[in-house]
Amino acid sequence: MSINLTNIHKGYGAQVVVDDVSLEIESGELFVLLGPSGSGKSTILRLIAGLTPLDQGGIALHGRDVSLLPPQQRGVGFVFQNYSLFQHMTAEQNIAFGLEVKRVPRSERQARVTELLQLIEMETMGKRYPHQLSGGQQQRVAVARALAQRPEVLLLDEPFGALDVKIRAQLRQNLRAIQTQLGVTTILVTHDQEEAFELADRIGVIDGGKLLEVGTPDQLYRAPKHRFTATFLGNANLFPAHRNGSKVYLGDQHLPAPPDTDHLTGQPVEMMLRPESIEIALNPTDLKGSVLGQATVTQLAFAGALERVTVQLEDRVLQVLIHPAQSRQLGIRPGDRIWLGVQEYHLLATNHHSGAG
Amino acid sequence: MRKFVLIGLVLSYAGVLLLAPMLALVINLLEYGLDTIWAAITTPEALLALRLSLILALCSVMINTVMGVLIAWVLVRHQFWGKRFFNAVVDLPFVVSPVIVGYVLIVLFGRQGWLSGFPVQLAFSTAGMLLVTVFVSLPFVIREVMPVLAAITPEQEEAAFTLGASHTLTFRRILLPILWPSILYGIVLTLARSLGEFGAAAVAGGGVQGVTETATIYVYRALQDRNDVGAYSIAVILGLMAVGILILMNWLRPQEGKKHVD
Repeated sequence: MSINLTNIHKGYGAQVVVDDVSLEIESGELFVLLGPSGSGKSTILRLIAGLTPLDQGGIALHGRDVSLLPPQQRGVGFVFQNYSLFQHMTAEQNIAFGLEVKRVPRSERQARVTELLQLIEMETMGKRYPHQLSGGQQQRVAVARALAQRPEVLLLDEPFGALDVKIRAQLRQNLRAIQTQLGVTTILVTHDQEEAFELADRIGVIDGGKLLEVGTPDQLYRAPKHRFTATFLGNANLFPAHRNGSKVYLGDQHLPAPPDTDHLTGQPVEMMLRPESIEIALNPTDLKGSVLGQATVTQLAFAGALERVTVQLEDRVLQVLIHPAQSRQLGIRPGDRIWLGVQEYHLLATNHHSGAG
Repeated sequence: MRKFVLIGLVLSYAGVLLLAPMLALVINLLEYGLDTIWAAITTPEALLALRLSLILALCSVMINTVMGVLIAWVLVRHQFWGKRFFNAVVDLPFVVSPVIVGYVLIVLFGRQGWLSGFPVQLAFSTAGMLLVTVFVSLPFVIREVMPVLAAITPEQEEAAFTLGASHTLTFRRILLPILWPSILYGIVLTLARSLGEFGAAAVAGGGVQGVTETATIYVYRALQDRNDVGAYSIAVILGLMAVGILILMNWLRPQEGKKHVD
């Protein structure tokens, strides 16, 4: 295990920022801590780096207990949200700083700096000062600086937060390529689910200082255990339901119960329908999945590559995403009556408040 | 038109008030001739006075630089009871008359003073003169460094810590280069204030010729003695030093924010 957090806790007075978080991260893994602003994710990163003292619990990096060690002795590379490059040093000097501190011989230092500048594809920009670099270039230098000492663990605190969308996408790919090439265990903090999906081997969803659940992007998107995860990772239609026998009852409708949901029998559950898993047809016989019922179209909206259709099914409002070509083919308009079907749905225990479901 | 009248008025006022004395000093000086001036400057009393002024100013700069940075650090980085009061007190030298500062030193450390038993003689001594000079020039480094220090985000230091740098190394390699222009500017202001100090030094030192007489006190005494050439000569030296300091100040003045590449 590369990073092991055991019941870590951090509070400021009465305010709990990190609440009894335990987590194990494998060597070479790129783990994304995903949560809204103020959820405690950056604090977890700072606790691991030793920049914020721990109240309770333990932190081990590669089997070494670092809970009480100062940041200088933790062997962690840290990339800050605003990069925090040393403004009076060139890109090269920034990258070499940690090596100088460790008294690495000059020739070895220079070789490492050249290697890292190549890695971040900035070979010709080593002599530039941070204010002569764009945001994206500064971010890459910050990553190179953090990697210079070959840290055991790389921590990135919202590293793309200050960049525009296009550069962000490009830098995400760069970062993933570098991380895979070096195999360094990495934790990245973000509030951007798209970023988390694209980069993560696994995602930890955090809210209110609690780590709600951990899983692969696919697991968390398709089968979240917690309502917060379901709504934070994309859009979700959530409705109270109950499971009985081999059926799930959603109002008057009943659908076959999804596999592996026996444990939810008899307890309040919610059915999660992702907007793209709902199908629309003019006749129920045209539906491929289970029939949900007949609904009324209330709104149509352009949503980029897809079209967002809002429908009213009895007293429930659902969001549906369909391809614009299908929308044209069906010729639907607000007020039209259509049939809804669903191919994939998920049940989760009702957990509106705190604690993983 | 109104604009040009206003500019002309302001320039005339400032020119007469600020530059005319310097000009008068130089013109009067040339009337005496350089040989006479040189002879006046190189008299033992004049040299001693200049030497004492420089020593006091340099010592004051050294003490106020180190202590000024320390005080600025404590005021910016630490929270403690009475911080606001302490922060206000730092400006005391700006508002208290230097003559009063010198007088207080005599009251405290003179023969009849409350602290007359102090092991180091401060009243009517160069040590006392240094103390009052340090006092009157205390706020400059502090007030220059504080806003710059306050503007430094903790992430720069934290980045250095994660790269293995100790607190001392981080201060030396990361913070000091950022603070350096403001420290230098503070040093120059401290130097200017210390070199020009008269009232506090005259009262605290007693103005004993060749012992506690600084260059400014020398000028005053020379005028009293109708030694015009002596007064002018030292005044010009002090004036030239002031001009040099002014040039240095303008050169060191913190620059406007640098342009960033987007």
